[in-house]
Amino acid sequence: MTNKLALLKVVAFGLLFGTAVMGQNKSVLLMNGTAHLGNGKVIENSVIEIKDGKIVSVAGVKAFAKINPEDYDTIIQLAGKQVYPGIIAPNSTVGLIEMEAVRATSDFAEVGLMNPNVRSETSYNTESVIIPTLRTNGVLIVQACPRGERIPGTSSVFNLYGWNWEDALLKGDDGVELNFPRWPVEQLPVSEAPAPVIDRRQLYEKQVQELRKFFKDARAYAEVDHPEEKNLRFEAMKGVFSGSERLYIHADYAKDIVAALGFVKEFQIKSAVLVGAKDAWLLTGMIKESGVPVMLGRVHDLPAREDDDKEIPYKLPGILQKAGILFCLQNQGDMEAMNARNLPFQAGTAAAYGLTKEEALMAITGNSAKILGIADRVGTLETGKDATLFISAGDALDMRTNKPELVFIQGRMMGANADNVQRVLYEKYCRKYNIAISQ
Amino acid sequence: MKNKGLLFLVFFLAFGLGASDSCRAQETFQVNGVYNKNHMYYAFTNARICVDCEKVIEKGTLLIRDGVIVEAGEKVNLPKGAVVYDLNGKTIYPSLIDMYTGYGIPEAKKIPRTYFPQYETSTKGAYDWNQAIKPEFNAVSVFTADKKAAEDYRKMGFGTVLVLQKDGIARGSAAVVTLGDARENELVIRDKAAACYSFDKGSSTQEYPTSLMGSIALMRQTYLDAKWYQENSRKTEFNASLLAWNTLQLLPQVFEVKDKLSVLRALKIGKEFGINYIIKGAGDEYQRLNDMKESGAAFILPLNFPNAYDVEDPYDALNVSLQEMKNWEMAPANPAYFEKKSISFALTAADSKDKADFWKNLRKAIAYGLSEKQALKALTETPAELLGVSDKVGRLKKGMLANFIVCSGDLFDAKNKIYQNWVQGNLYVIGESSASELGGNYDLKVGAETYFLKISADGDRLKGIISSARDTSKIAASIGLEGTVITINFVQGLQKETVRLSGTIVENPTALNGRAELGSGEWVDWKAVYQSGLKESEKQDAEKKLSVKADSLKQEIPKIEQVYYPFCAYGSPEVDKSLWTRYKERQHAILIKNVTVWTNDSAGILQHKDVYVNGGRIVRIDNSITPTKDAFAVVIDGTGKHLTPGVIDEHSHIAISGDANEGSHAVTSEVRIGDVIDCEDIAIYRELSSGVTACQLLHGSANPIGGQSALIKLRWGLSPEAMKIESADGYIKFALGENVKQSNWGDSFVTRFPQTRMGVEQVYYDAFTRAKEYEKNWNQKGVRRNLQLEALVEVLNKKRFITCHSYVQSEINMLMHVGDSMGFKVNTFTHILEGYKVADKMKEHGIGGSTFADWWAYKVEVKDAIPYNAAILSRMGIVTAVNSDDPEMGRRLNQEAAKAVKYGGLSEEEALKLCTLNPAILLHLDKKLGRVRVGNDADLVLWSDNPLAINAKAEKTIIDGLIYYDRSKDEQVFGDLEKERARLIQKMIRAKKAGEKTQKPELKQTRNYDE
Repeated sequence: MTNKLALLKVVAFGLLFGTAVMGQNKSVLLMNGTAHLGNGKVIENSVIEIKDGKIVSVAGVKAFAKINPEDYDTIIQLAGKQVYPGIIAPNSTVGLIEMEAVRATSDFAEVGLMNPNVRSETSYNTESVIIPTLRTNGVLIVQACPRGERIPGTSSVFNLYGWNWEDALLKGDDGVELNFPRWPVEQLPVSEAPAPVIDRRQLYEKQVQELRKFFKDARAYAEVDHPEEKNLRFEAMKGVFSGSERLYIHADYAKDIVAALGFVKEFQIKSAVLVGAKDAWLLTGMIKESGVPVMLGRVHDLPAREDDDKEIPYKLPGILQKAGILFCLQNQGDMEAMNARNLPFQAGTAAAYGLTKEEALMAITGNSAKILGIADRVGTLETGKDATLFISAGDALDMRTNKPELVFIQGRMMGANADNVQRVLYEKYCRKYNIAISQ
Repeated sequence: MKNKGLLFLVFFLAFGLGASDSCRAQETFQVNGVYNKNHMYYAFTNARICVDCEKVIEKGTLLIRDGVIVEAGEKVNLPKGAVVYDLNGKTIYPSLIDMYTGYGIPEAKKIPRTYFPQYETSTKGAYDWNQAIKPEFNAVSVFTADKKAAEDYRKMGFGTVLVLQKDGIARGSAAVVTLGDARENELVIRDKAAACYSFDKGSSTQEYPTSLMGSIALMRQTYLDAKWYQENSRKTEFNASLLAWNTLQLLPQVFEVKDKLSVLRALKIGKEFGINYIIKGAGDEYQRLNDMKESGAAFILPLNFPNAYDVEDPYDALNVSLQEMKNWEMAPANPAYFEKKSISFALTAADSKDKADFWKNLRKAIAYGLSEKQALKALTETPAELLGVSDKVGRLKKGMLANFIVCSGDLFDAKNKIYQNWVQGNLYVIGESSASELGGNYDLKVGAETYFLKISADGDRLKGIISSARDTSKIAASIGLEGTVITINFVQGLQKETVRLSGTIVENPTALNGRAELGSGEWVDWKAVYQSGLKESEKQDAEKKLSVKADSLKQEIPKIEQVYYPFCAYGSPEVDKSLWTRYKERQHAILIKNVTVWTNDSAGILQHKDVYVNGGRIVRIDNSITPTKDAFAVVIDGTGKHLTPGVIDEHSHIAISGDANEGSHAVTSEVRIGDVIDCEDIAIYRELSSGVTACQLLHGSANPIGGQSALIKLRWGLSPEAMKIESADGYIKFALGENVKQSNWGDSFVTRFPQTRMGVEQVYYDAFTRAKEYEKNWNQKGVRRNLQLEALVEVLNKKRFITCHSYVQSEINMLMHVGDSMGFKVNTFTHILEGYKVADKMKEHGIGGSTFADWWAYKVEVKDAIPYNAAILSRMGIVTAVNSDDPEMGRRLNQEAAKAVKYGGLSEEEALKLCTLNPAILLHLDKKLGRVRVGNDADLVLWSDNPLAINAKAEKTIIDGLIYYDRSKDEQVFGDLEKERARLIQKMIRAKKAGEKTQKPELKQTRNYDE
C-alpha cells in the first residue's frame, strides 16, 4: 500500500503542470487532507471516497480503518493540503465573452426589452481561454447569464469542463434574469444636462407598469393549458410561475430592493433571488422576512455613496450572515468573466470583515448551490454529490496560499493548471530566461 | 398715503431727460420728429440720501441735470425752474451695479458637433488657432439694449451692469452699460471695461481642450504666445487674437470659475503671469476661506444659494451627501464670511435662474451675517471700483451719473419698496402706489350707502373689510390695484349681490373715487376718504412672518468653524487648524512598541521592535525604546501587528478634477495633472484607510504623449498644493497601443494621427525631433516659448521621466528604440502586460515595470497578459511594482502584491516591495519613502496582520509622522458623520416646512477614470 500511495502521489503531482485531463476515474481515495465541506464544517485528516464521478463518502480519521486500498484505482495522500468543493461563480458571463473590447467575441446581450426566451445555454463556449484560468484558482462551476435590458434572458449553470456546452451543462435554464427598473439615478459628471428629474421619475413609473403588465400577461398565459397561439416569451416565463425556474431580480439600491421584494410578493414568485443588493445593509429585516435569498454583488467594490461606510461592501456579507439571510457572492461588473477567478479572494475579504473563513467558503460554494437550485448535485463535500472539488496547498481564500494542485470535475481529475494558456506562456518565458518555474 | 405728488409726474417723465447745453452731451444720431431736449434741473428734496455705503444725509436734496448729479447735500440751493420731488420719508440710494451679466448680449451659438472630431478651429480668419480663445470679441460690438431684461434689472434696483458673453476660455472684452431704454450710444459708459476668462471652452466645437487641465495649459501657452507676439518684431504671422489679447491686458481681468478649487487654479495662473484676477466665484469659496484671503484677490460672489433637498423619504435622504447638505446650510453665509475676513467682493445676480431670487437671497445673506453696509458696497462702490468706473457710478457724488433709486425706506428691509429707478437722469417707475401705503381706515360712500372700509396689505396684495353702521358684520372685499386704478368688489344685501367699484387714487386729501355698478345694474358714484391709519397689530401679516422666520434662522446661522476639511464626509473641522499647523511645524512624535517591522531594507523583517517617529521622520528603530516625555508623543502597542512603509500607487487617477485625459491631440505634454488635483475626492480617504500614503496621479492614455503627472501624499484635508510631494521629480505619461490608436473609441474616431502602431512611432520621432530643434534655439531672441516641447526637452535632459502605458512587446521594443536613437530613456513601463516577453531588453535598458497583478482579456492587446508578469520581471532583476489604475483596486494593493506569491512564487518580502519600495524607486522617492529606515519620511502603515494576508487591515496610516487614518476611531468618525447628517436632515425638513423650496435628491454615480 505504501508503495502504491507513493507512486500515485507522484502521478498526481505530475499532472499539475501538464495540460492533460485524466478521464473520469472509476474510484479515487483522497486521504489525510483537511476537508472544508462548504457547509461550515471542517474535517481534519479526512477520507474522501470518489466513485463514478460522485462523492461516496466524506469521513474523518476514524474511517481509515475501514478502507481497503485495493478498492481504489487511485489513492492520493494529501497530508497538509486542503480540500474544497468546487467554487461556484454565479451570475457571470463566463463562456459568453472572450474580450470585452471585441464585439465579435461578445454573446451575452441580445436586442429587445423582454427576452426570457433568449438562453445562454447554447452560446456557452467551452473553449473560452478564460475557463482554465478560473480552474487554476478553484472556480469550477459558473452560471452563465445573459445581460441586457429588462429581461435579458434565461441563464444556465455549467461545469468548467466539457467538450461542448451539452457536456458542460450542469443545469440548463435554471432561471430568468430580470433587471428591476431603477429609481432615477443621476450620472455624474454629465456633459449634457440630464433630463429633468420629474421626467425620469415618470419614465420609472412607466417601466414598472410595463414590467407588471408583462408579468400579468405571462402569468395568465401560463394558466392556459393550450393557448391559441404560442408565445415564445411567455412560454419561457412558465417556469418562473411554476417555481421550477428561478427569477433572478437584479436590484441594488434601497428603493429598488423594496420594490423588487414587493414585486415578488405581488406575483407570488416561488423561487426569487435578489441579485446585487448593495443597500441590503439597510433592509436586513425585510429581506429576511421575505425569505428571498441574495446573490451579493462584488465584495471588492466601492461604496455606492460618498457618505456610506467606507468598507460597506466588505462588511455586507457579515451583516447578512448575522441577520440569518441565505446569501452567496457573485462578481458582476467590469471584466467580470476574467475576474471570476478572484471570487475566492472576495470571500476572503468578507472573512476579514465579519464572516468566519468557513462561512466565507459557504458563500462561494454551499450557499451558492442552494440559491442556484443545484445543492443536490454540488456545493459541498457530501455523500452523493458530484465529485467537483479541488485540492489546494493552502488556504484557498488567501491569494498567497490559493494554490490548487488537483481539480476534480464530476470525478474527472486534472491538474489545476491544465489548458491554462497563461501558465503555458509563463513556463515558456521562464525557460527563455532560464529562471526557475514556480509551482 | 403720505405723498401722492409723484404720481402726477409719472406721465410727464415718461420721456427721456437727456440732452444738454451746447458744450455737453452732443449726439450724432438723427431723431425722427421734434427734438425733445431739455436741460432742466431735477431736485429731490427732503430725502434721506445714502451717498455711499458710509455717508448718509438724513434729510437733504439731490440735484441732477442732464443725467448727471449736480449736487447732493443737506442744503442745496434750488435753481430756478427746478422740477421738485418732495421725497419726504423716502430714501435715495445709488442704483446697484451687477458686474457679471449677459444683459443685451446674444448667447453664443452652440453648433452640434460634427460626426468626426474637429481638430482645428472653425473660426474663419486670422484668429487664434483655438476656437475657445476669442480675445478679439468685444461685447460692446454686439450689445443691444433689451427692454424687457432692462426692466427686470431695474425692478431689482440695478442701474448699471457689466455685459459680457459668457462663452469660451478667453471671452474678450466686457462693457459697462446702464439699464436705460435709450439708444445704445447713450447707454454704454465704458466700451472695454474688463477682459473675461474661464476654464470652460463653451461653444467651441474644437476638440482641444477636452479637459480642465487642457484649458489651463491653453491659457498658459496663450499668455506666452501673446508675449512673444508683442515682443518679437520679426514674427511672420498676423494674429488678430493675440493682438487683442495684449490690448486687453490693460483692463481689469475677470475670471469665472465653477468651484473653489478652480479659484485656486485661476489664481495660480495669475501668479505665474503677474495678473491679479477678479474671481467670479461659484459660492463655495468659504470652504477654503484662508486660501481665498491669502490670494489677495477680489471676488464677484453669486447670490445663488442651493435649495434644500427633500429628505422626507429616508431612502432618498441617503442620496444627499454631507457635502451637499453642509453647503446648503452654509452657502448663504459665504458673503458674510468674506466680510469678516475682509476680502474685497462684489455681489452678482448672475447665477440665479429666477431674478426674483435676488432680493430673497440678498436678504438671506444679510440674515446670515452680511452687514447691510457691506451688501450695499458690494453692489455699488466695489464693482464700480473694480471696473474703473467709480468716477461715474456707485455713489451719489457731484459729476457722477444720475443713477439712483428711490425707496420707501431701508433698501435691505424686507418691507422696502423701490418706487423709482433713475438711470442717467431718466425716470423709470417701479412701483408707485405701494400696496402697503394704501393701508388704513376709510369712510366709503357708494351712491347713497355709507360703509366703513379697512384696507390692509398682505404682501403685494390688498384685502379689505367692509362694515356699515346698519350692519356691523364684517364683509370681505376683494381689492385690485393696477397703477393708480383701484377696483373693489364686495357682496351686499340679502340678495348677496356683488357691488363692483372702479376708481382712481386721488391725491390729496387722501381719497379714492370713481363709479360703481350695483347688483341691480345701476351706476352710482363712489368715494372713499382716508380717516385713520392701521393699528400696529393690523399691519402686514407677511411682514410679521418674515421677521419670525429671520429670528428662527438667526439661531441656526452656521459659523465658519463648521467648515470641514475637506468639505465632505470624513472631513474634519480640525484639520485646517491643527493638522496643518502640526504638519508645518512637524512636531509630533509616535512610538510604536513591540511590532514586526518590514523594513524593505537589508535588515529584512524584524520582530519585536520599537519604532520612534518624530518631526515627520523615522528617528529610531530599536529593541526597546522608553516612551518620550514629550506630551504630544503617542504610544502605540504594536504587539502582534506589522509595520510597513506606506503603500505607494504608481498608477492612479484619483483626486483629479475635470478628466484625467486631455484626449484631443496626439501630443499633450503641456498639460499638467498638478494643475487639477482634487483634494476632496473621497477616494483619497478610502485609499488612506487601506494603507496608501502616496500616489502618482497620472494623465490618461488617450495619446502617445500625454500630460505631466503629479506626485502626492494622501494628506487628507490639506489643499491641492500641500498634497504634492516636495521636490519630487517630474514625470510624464506616454502611452502605446489601442488607446492611442483610438481603437476602442467608436467609429467616429478614425481621423486623428496615429491610427496604427506605425503612426505611434512617428509621433514620437516627430515630437522629439521638434523638441531637439527647439532646445537648440530656445535661448535665442524671438523664439516663442513652447511648453509642449519644453516638457520633452526636460525628458531629454533627464529632468522629467516617462511612465509609459504599454501592453504588447512590439510597441515596447519600438519605444526603447526611439529612446535609444533620440537620446531619452523610459523610466517605467506601466501596465506592461507583455513585459515578461521583453524583460531582458528592459533589464538592459534599466527600465522598470509597473503592472496589473492579474488583469487581462478585456481587449486584444491584453490577450497575452499573464498574472506571472510581476514575478518574471522581478526575477529578471527589474524594479517592478503593481499598480491599481482604479480607485477600488487602489484600496487592495497589498492584496494585489500578494498575488505575486501565488503566481510565480515571490517571497512575501519581495511581494510587499511591489507596492511599497519598488514604486518609490520608480518614482525616485526611495531616498525618503519605501523603507522603514532611520531618517526616512515617517510614511508608515500599522497592519492588523501580515500585510499580505487576506485579512490584513490598515489600522493606522501615518504620513509625515502624523496619523491620518486611525481604524480605532472608525466608529467615532462614522458616528459623528451620521450625527451631522441627522442634524442637517432635521434642519432641511424644518426648512421645507417653513416653505423653503426643495429639490429631489438623487443618487450620484461618480465616474472613475481608468487607464
